[in-house]
Amino acid sequence: MALLELKGVKKTYDQGKIEVPALRGIDLQVEPGEFTTIFGPSGSGKTTLLNLVGCLDKPTAGTIIFDGQKLDDLAQKDLAMLRRHQVGFIFQSYNLIPVLTAYENVEFALRLVNKYNQREIRDRVLRILAAVGLEGLADRRPNELSGGQKQRVAIARALVKEPKLVLADEPSANLDSKTSEEVLAVMAKMNKELGTTFIFSTHDPRVMAYARRLIEIRDGLIARDQRREPDALLN
Amino acid sequence: MLFLTKLAFKNLARHRNRTVITAMIIALAVFIYIFYDSLLSGMTVMSYGTLIDYETGHLQVVNRAYWDEEEKLPLKNLLTVDETLQSQLRNVRGFVAASPELNFQARLNNGWDELPVMGKGIEPEAFKGVFALEDQLVAGEMFAAGEHRAVLGKRLADLLDLTVGDYITMQVKDKNKGFNTLEVEIAGLVHTSNPNVNQNIVYVPLDLAQEALAVEGQVSKVILRLAGQDRAAGAAAELERSLKKHDPDLAAYPWNQLEAFAFFGAVELEKQVILAIILLIAAIAIINTVILAALERMGEIGMMKALGLQKKEVVYTFVMESTGIGLLGGSIGILLGMLLVWFLAKYGIDFGALVGIEMSAFGLPVLGKIYGVWNPQGMLEVFAFGVGISFLASLWPAYWAAGKDPVKAIDHH
Repeated sequence: MALLELKGVKKTYDQGKIEVPALRGIDLQVEPGEFTTIFGPSGSGKTTLLNLVGCLDKPTAGTIIFDGQKLDDLAQKDLAMLRRHQVGFIFQSYNLIPVLTAYENVEFALRLVNKYNQREIRDRVLRILAAVGLEGLADRRPNELSGGQKQRVAIARALVKEPKLVLADEPSANLDSKTSEEVLAVMAKMNKELGTTFIFSTHDPRVMAYARRLIEIRDGLIARDQRREPDALLN
Repeated sequence: MLFLTKLAFKNLARHRNRTVITAMIIALAVFIYIFYDSLLSGMTVMSYGTLIDYETGHLQVVNRAYWDEEEKLPLKNLLTVDETLQSQLRNVRGFVAASPELNFQARLNNGWDELPVMGKGIEPEAFKGVFALEDQLVAGEMFAAGEHRAVLGKRLADLLDLTVGDYITMQVKDKNKGFNTLEVEIAGLVHTSNPNVNQNIVYVPLDLAQEALAVEGQVSKVILRLAGQDRAAGAAAELERSLKKHDPDLAAYPWNQLEAFAFFGAVELEKQVILAIILLIAAIAIINTVILAALERMGEIGMMKALGLQKKEVVYTFVMESTGIGLLGGSIGILLGMLLVWFLAKYGIDFGALVGIEMSAFGLPVLGKIYGVWNPQGMLEVFAFGVGISFLASLWPAYWAAGKDPVKAIDHH
């Protein structure tokens, strides 16, 4: 069964008297464990699509089915619970909480799940921090970390609750090429080890190089959907 | 929720200056209220003493019909102090002394100027047991029964350029509406902390007043001193019961039901108004702080909602942060307030000396230093109000922030 299924999804933004169509009919299936990149020019609808599949927004028309559940029927409260348990987010500007340490930022996501005891939380947080290469940096606050390290904390925060889907919106946009490569390698590793489904929105070729599926969006429609062996992994 | 509480309190350190400034506004509000409350309560306690010691006593026995018209100082519905009444008064629990008095309107004349005053016919010996007026003589002495002499306030004497040994005329209207005069020599001058005594009252022997007013054997009221002012309510109820058998028209009123004390109700109201103003300022500071924090953290709010935080949890985080500011400000305010109250209670403050004019000149029944009093309940209340208002004032901006669309919030710059 597909983890994610979109049928005729449309999204129109109402800007006063003008209606701006962002997505004009998307049909898409994403299988569990996929490492997918959505790319396209600015304003093509990448972020809108990511927001819809991440349950942050609702489509104007069409249906989204997440893990067998139709999202149209869910109230905001239920969507929030779905995000809390099943979806991890990685943002372009990290969005870490500055007053919390790296450990606490990651712990925050796990506390919300409210499923683990203190010891389990500690073990899981330290394990994921080690997995993203932040061993020994757990007590640092975001202002004491480099951009790459911050993005690793954000990755750890997205993955620590073992969600079915991780959505990353331009995750490399604020990183230099070397750091960007490192961060992408971490995500590819996590995808392989944990089997977590990743969907990226980007126009960074470095990110595309890691993808096993490339979806090109143009003017709110899927222009190309290509499955392939990732260049970066081949290299 | 525990983690969100921890996050809220950590957020207090995010903009230390802003947190400190907002907390200090609340601290200042709490501090000012504690100062004001302590001083006003101290002034109230002193004023109670002043009014009881020089004007009202602890308990007054009076004819009900007279009580209703007392401010006109009528010469009807007076009472006769017979042996039975005296015995009933003496049997009241906590009884110390009783003093009959006849109050009347008069025009005080020094030969060329005239002022309206209140005349008080008193029995000097009985009066001494109830009132501390003799201790406040600044010139001369108290008169004896039957003497054609009077005692009046120094301020009143100064107004009419009078001194001990001078003669004054009091024009009165007797019970039958006939005009009469009382010619008396000034025996003594008093200066008390009670402005009414200082500038409005002339004391004369009771028998002299009764004769001039044609009310032989009758008095306006009998004033009692008890072993303590807190006994007054119980004693009044007890006396009412026994008076009913003797004369159902008579009633006993404790000091705190007397007209002179009505002023303190206004003081209490004023305190509440000041509290409301102070807390309003604190509320505005909190609303401002939460809105600024929310605007700054819009991206973070979006992230939190993306992580699955519900609206009420985002609200909780902001509200707890504001409550933390309220707790901080309230605690600082209480500590500073306690220091000041300690100083006020120990050393007092002499406003008269500070401004060069006695407080009694402004109509306040206080002379010399005003001492603050401890009011732990008031402190706890204002602390609770400070924290409560921080909590309440943050609700609206917190809901506003939490209601933001997560997509727009994440993209907010």
